[in-house]
Amino acid sequence: MPGVNVSLAHASDVLFMWTVLVYAVAMFGYSAEFAFSRIGRSRAEKPVPDERRVTPEQIGRVAVGLTVVGWLLHVGSVVTRGAAVNRVPWGNMYEFSTMVALVAVTVFLVLLTRQPVRFLGAFVMTPVVLYLGLAGTVLYAPAAPLQPILNSYWIKIHVVAAITASGGFMVSGVITMLYLTRTWLDRRASVGPGTAAAVEYGGLSRWLPSAERLDRLAYKVIGFAFPVWTFAIIAGAIWAKYAWSRYWGWDPKETWSFITWVAYAAYLHARATAGWRGRRAAVLSLIGFSCLMVDYYVVNTVISGLHSYAGVGG
Amino acid sequence: MTELLVDDTATQALSTAPQPAGAASRNRVRTLWRSLTSMRTALLLLSLLALAAVPGTLLPQRSLNPVKVDDFFTAHPSLAPVMDRLSLFDMFAAPWFAAIYLLLFASLIGCLVPRIRLHARALRRKPPQAPKRLERLAVNDRWEADGDAETVIRSARETLRQQRWRTELRAEPDGSWSVGAEKGYLRETGNLVFHVSLVVLLVGIALGGLFGYKGTVLVTDGSGFSDVPSSYDIFSPPRLGSESALPPFSFTLRKFTASYQPTGVPKSFHAYVDYQPTPNAATRPYDVTTNHPLSISGADVFLVGHGYAVHIQVRDKTGRLVYDRPTPFLPDDAMFTSHGVVKVPTGLAHQLGFTGFFYPTYEATPFGAQSSYPGPASPVLSLAAWQGDLGLGSGRPQSVYTLPVASLTNVGTKMLSPGQTWRLADGTTVTFAGLDQWATFQIAHDPGSTVVLVAAIFIVCGLLSSLWVRRRRMWVRATPTTGGPLGGGDGVARTVVSAGGLARTDADGFATEFESLLRRMRG
Repeated sequence: MPGVNVSLAHASDVLFMWTVLVYAVAMFGYSAEFAFSRIGRSRAEKPVPDERRVTPEQIGRVAVGLTVVGWLLHVGSVVTRGAAVNRVPWGNMYEFSTMVALVAVTVFLVLLTRQPVRFLGAFVMTPVVLYLGLAGTVLYAPAAPLQPILNSYWIKIHVVAAITASGGFMVSGVITMLYLTRTWLDRRASVGPGTAAAVEYGGLSRWLPSAERLDRLAYKVIGFAFPVWTFAIIAGAIWAKYAWSRYWGWDPKETWSFITWVAYAAYLHARATAGWRGRRAAVLSLIGFSCLMVDYYVVNTVISGLHSYAGVGG
Repeated sequence: MTELLVDDTATQALSTAPQPAGAASRNRVRTLWRSLTSMRTALLLLSLLALAAVPGTLLPQRSLNPVKVDDFFTAHPSLAPVMDRLSLFDMFAAPWFAAIYLLLFASLIGCLVPRIRLHARALRRKPPQAPKRLERLAVNDRWEADGDAETVIRSARETLRQQRWRTELRAEPDGSWSVGAEKGYLRETGNLVFHVSLVVLLVGIALGGLFGYKGTVLVTDGSGFSDVPSSYDIFSPPRLGSESALPPFSFTLRKFTASYQPTGVPKSFHAYVDYQPTPNAATRPYDVTTNHPLSISGADVFLVGHGYAVHIQVRDKTGRLVYDRPTPFLPDDAMFTSHGVVKVPTGLAHQLGFTGFFYPTYEATPFGAQSSYPGPASPVLSLAAWQGDLGLGSGRPQSVYTLPVASLTNVGTKMLSPGQTWRLADGTTVTFAGLDQWATFQIAHDPGSTVVLVAAIFIVCGLLSSLWVRRRRMWVRATPTTGGPLGGGDGVARTVVSAGGLARTDADGFATEFESLLRRMRG
């Protein structure tokens, strides 16, 4: 195909495959650390330190190292894809998905340098690997130049903002699910001290950070992602004014972006109000995340509209 | 501490707290207004707005694709009219959709006005007095410093001021000094700016809807357009104001070109036009492409579609030319298999009409003819000729893209390449003389868009400061020590300094900030 550097496009695909592989190994590493950690057990059970034995903590550190390696491969894959077609590497759904995953991993790695959040590893990397798997198979589109309507510098502004916000919402969604798990375990454990349930669920719940901390972390990430999403919608509207002659036209993609925005706005209001904090706010945040997924998958593949650039199925 | 609480409950009472039961009997309207402006109602309306928007993306909408709405009517003849009465095909212009967002904005304004008043008061108010026991606050510290209490406290206040805290120095009755400090007013300011900008945004949208106009027109290569309502194929006039106020510009489409990838995916579109902003102005060239509209006197000209115009010449049996012009054909698929109708009502013994298909790159498949590429690589025109009364004299409006074939007689069909001529049985000849292209332009004027853009910028700025600025308070108290082992005797004044702080929104990071402030105070 003209306008495509075939060897670079191939390199990008190979790098993509290695990215998924390395991420998958990292994911197993985080899961192993999570599963074999002794946090939940009593001190008496703690085994005698053995020099030759690998501790779960070491596995966790290796997993972080692998995540960094995978991240570098991931960046390489995205850059070569862009170079192969001589344009920004987010012109179709496959490219958009890998960018969202890249942002999610970046957000996780940045959080990791500031807060002890390695426990999140398994919960971030699992959706990322699944997501990339989906991108590499179902959504995959070969390298090709952009459609003329996408040929605008607004693709850099609007789509980067959308990708960044989506990555942030994805991480906050994971944290919110952990928050709900933790509160559920806490409720189960609080039936009565000393009961079998209290021991079992209490032990499980100690594997996760406190509900309060998870709640605050999720809020912080949404506090970052929501203004970026707002900006993405506005930048999209400005672009639409140039491309489609109106800044807003209730196109399905526009409408679902708006619905997502409203859902997260409801979350922020709920959280600002004492009576709605905690579980109810968490549910609202997950509703927002589901709207984002509909906006992203259902609208692109099922509902036809002006944003039909998916490149899926031809 | 009580002062803090009073402030918070005052804010919450406006937005969240359930109202006392007595109020209901006293004033029903007031209660209704209060519950409308409560946070719970706002949340409910927000959720309702999101929910109400969903069917608009699942059901066909007239504003997006009127053809799909017609298809839905054909598929569900009994259900569709009922749904139509509920405005389900014009969801976003539906009265009940408007009711939701207007209620939401009423609730918003009702919530905003008292909050603006409250915030204006808070901005003028001095930072609160120090609580008696600072060590009870979440973050606190205590140390001893050289110098008398007043000097110590003034230097502490200076430190806070340098960090842009708002401060208030107070002498306390027991001889100690205290400074109250507060920071992060921008949080509420941003919050209010965000919400006020939302209202302004709605006003901008309304301005566009009331005074804006738009229209679509199809222009073939070499033809022109002048901006009067009658020139448009489709025209939505401004709802308020006169439609004679359209800017008097005109343009001619010199040439439209499109280029494609080998797969048929479009690469670029260009409509080269020559335009005149006013009838007597000089003609200027412009290349209208995707993402690159032409702006003339407040109106924007967008390229929104394109297709082929088939140039046909018809001669009677004596060879006299009776019809000679390009006719736009409408594309049916991405490869520009197009259909169209040619009408020759005068000049021949019988009125003559053609229905035809045009294939820019003709390919015969087992399923019939089709175009395999959108560019004109091997153009073929397939025509069916009809004789009889074309119905143009009946006075009934008729589309240029349909022919009443039921009442006509078919007099033959033929495939033509450019330059080929077809002779009908009565001696009439039809020549496929050539190929032109046409472009459709949307011309739009939206006087509210600047207001919307400015409001949108303020929305983002307000949002950022309302989410990222933290409101916090801090107090420092300096008390002269009396008779301790260090104070008194040697003539050197000593002071006990205590400090405490309170993060009113997000406590994260406040302890670090507090510590670094104290480090500066201690020198």
